[in-house]
Amino acid sequence: MRFLERFDVQQQNHGGGDDDPGADDRLQQARTEGDRLLAAGDEAIQRALAGSNSEAFLRAGRQQGGQ
Amino acid sequence: MGKQPSQNATIRALPKLCGADIELGNFIAGTDKAGGTGYEASRELLAEIEGLPIRQSSYVDNWWSTASTAPRTGVNNLGGTCATTSDWAYNPQDVSRRFLASNGGSAYIDLNHAELCLPEVMSAFDHIAAWHGMLRIMRDALDRANQGRPRDRRIQVLINNSDGQGNSYGSHTNYAISRRTFDNIFWRKTHYLPFLASFQVSSILLTGQGKVGAENGRPSTPYQISQRADFFETLQGIQTTYNRPIVNARDEALCGWSRVNGPMAPARLHVIFFDSALAHGSCLFRVGPMQLILTLLELGLINPRLILDEPLAALHSFSHDPTLKASAELISGERLTALQLQCAYLDEVKRHAAQSVFEGIVPRFEEIIALWEDTLNKFIQGDLMALAPCLDWIQKLMAIERAMEQHPELDWDSPEVKVIDHLYSSLDDDGLYWAYEGCGFAEQLVTPEQITHFTANPPADTRAWTRAMLLRRASSDNVEVESVDWDRITFKIRGRHAWPSYRAFDMADPLGFTQDLAQPIFDSCGEFGDLLDGLESLSTSIALPLEAVAVN
Repeated sequence: MRFLERFDVQQQNHGGGDDDPGADDRLQQARTEGDRLLAAGDEAIQRALAGSNSEAFLRAGRQQGGQ
Repeated sequence: MGKQPSQNATIRALPKLCGADIELGNFIAGTDKAGGTGYEASRELLAEIEGLPIRQSSYVDNWWSTASTAPRTGVNNLGGTCATTSDWAYNPQDVSRRFLASNGGSAYIDLNHAELCLPEVMSAFDHIAAWHGMLRIMRDALDRANQGRPRDRRIQVLINNSDGQGNSYGSHTNYAISRRTFDNIFWRKTHYLPFLASFQVSSILLTGQGKVGAENGRPSTPYQISQRADFFETLQGIQTTYNRPIVNARDEALCGWSRVNGPMAPARLHVIFFDSALAHGSCLFRVGPMQLILTLLELGLINPRLILDEPLAALHSFSHDPTLKASAELISGERLTALQLQCAYLDEVKRHAAQSVFEGIVPRFEEIIALWEDTLNKFIQGDLMALAPCLDWIQKLMAIERAMEQHPELDWDSPEVKVIDHLYSSLDDDGLYWAYEGCGFAEQLVTPEQITHFTANPPADTRAWTRAMLLRRASSDNVEVESVDWDRITFKIRGRHAWPSYRAFDMADPLGFTQDLAQPIFDSCGEFGDLLDGLESLSTSIALPLEAVAVN
């Protein structure tokens, strides 16, 4: 299960949310809109995954320890 | 129940002026060297940022003696020129520092990391705008440095705090506090430091950037909230590069020589705890709530019920649990989650806000409190989709989990997932954060115009304004800038017979030398010497509330 789903389940078990009967609908709408916007970032994710050798990228990224 | 505000009306807190010095990850893609390529990358980046003094030096002591070193120009191993100094003067933590006439901030190289220092600001919202403004300046430098480089050998800049290979670099903020408060935290009072540390530890759910995996010998974890948490090993100390402390005791006021004394003299709390942030909410929450909590500390309004029994263990536990179920024990024996502890700190702040304790101390404190409360409520409601646009660690987590959904072959140990972790914070056009900002997903707390403003202008309400304007005026008047520091600029002025004389101008008061105070002097003085004479008159009307008496 994804972290984000686990978080949702945890909140529901703890009675998260308010008593507003319309709250669930609004939350669902917000999630749908958020999903739509997140999808707009998928191209950037695909570019990241399509890049050159990931292990080489990570090795090149080695840094000197700083403050 | 914590303390009530004192009846003594003379007790005041210093306005919570804020600065920041933030190291960047920098390297050359496609280049595998044992020690990394930070040396080359940082120097190529800094060469593209204009600043003063033109003659670069590496300070032995960046507080007192910026003009005391003996710089000389050398040649780096890429064939370009770079600033070096004689061996006795070389300080790898402060190479080639230059101050920007554009906004009064500075840039330099710290242990082979390009580092950006923001001009002093008063408002947490200005911190967001100034930080993103400095990122734009660095982005332009990056573009210039990468011109002509092949795509697979481009310089990469990451706005993060860890390379995933056990090396961390800092994102520091700092705050004006009174000398008495500094002493109370580190030397006089038993509960000030743990009150502050417990607040910081619980605040990672608002300020963390998120990170795949664990480092520094900590237990493995797929994803954690904080980039920095694994690297904190002790509660307090002056060190910043090893055995890092949650509360840093470095005592550098950057307010001149001790011409201002007394309990309300300015000191500076150097905070090394927080992650680098890109999301505007995370940026705001690493400064705004700190301004509020430090005000409570300064006024002695401390509720010891909120102190964690083991802040360090709590930090590691909180960070390693993105589901926010982890709890930690308070000294009372009660156990609270990070979210519950943040709610308790917010309640303290709200209770004292009703007594007007933040008036004139923390700009826009009502908005900070409202955003803080709204964000914690969204956590309580489990509304992560509403939180992702304003908090980095959730935004990054959503990006990674979307990638894993679309590519079932990936798991948390896949190098591709770690690449997404890094590229979330890439300053280049492959940065995921910028993609989310561009598509309207990332929430904006300041406007693009406000960010643009700070690429070319200093804050009007701190001494950064006079610093920037003096650097500009020196350039237009052909006056050489010998050295610059946060509280002093030394000019080399040519006399009638071309003999140079040196004149130092002190700006001890970080809250003084504002545009309101200094603009009339700039407008009325034609000669550079007259201008300095006029500005020096401001030093005698110091803005600090010296009449105030701290009794806590």
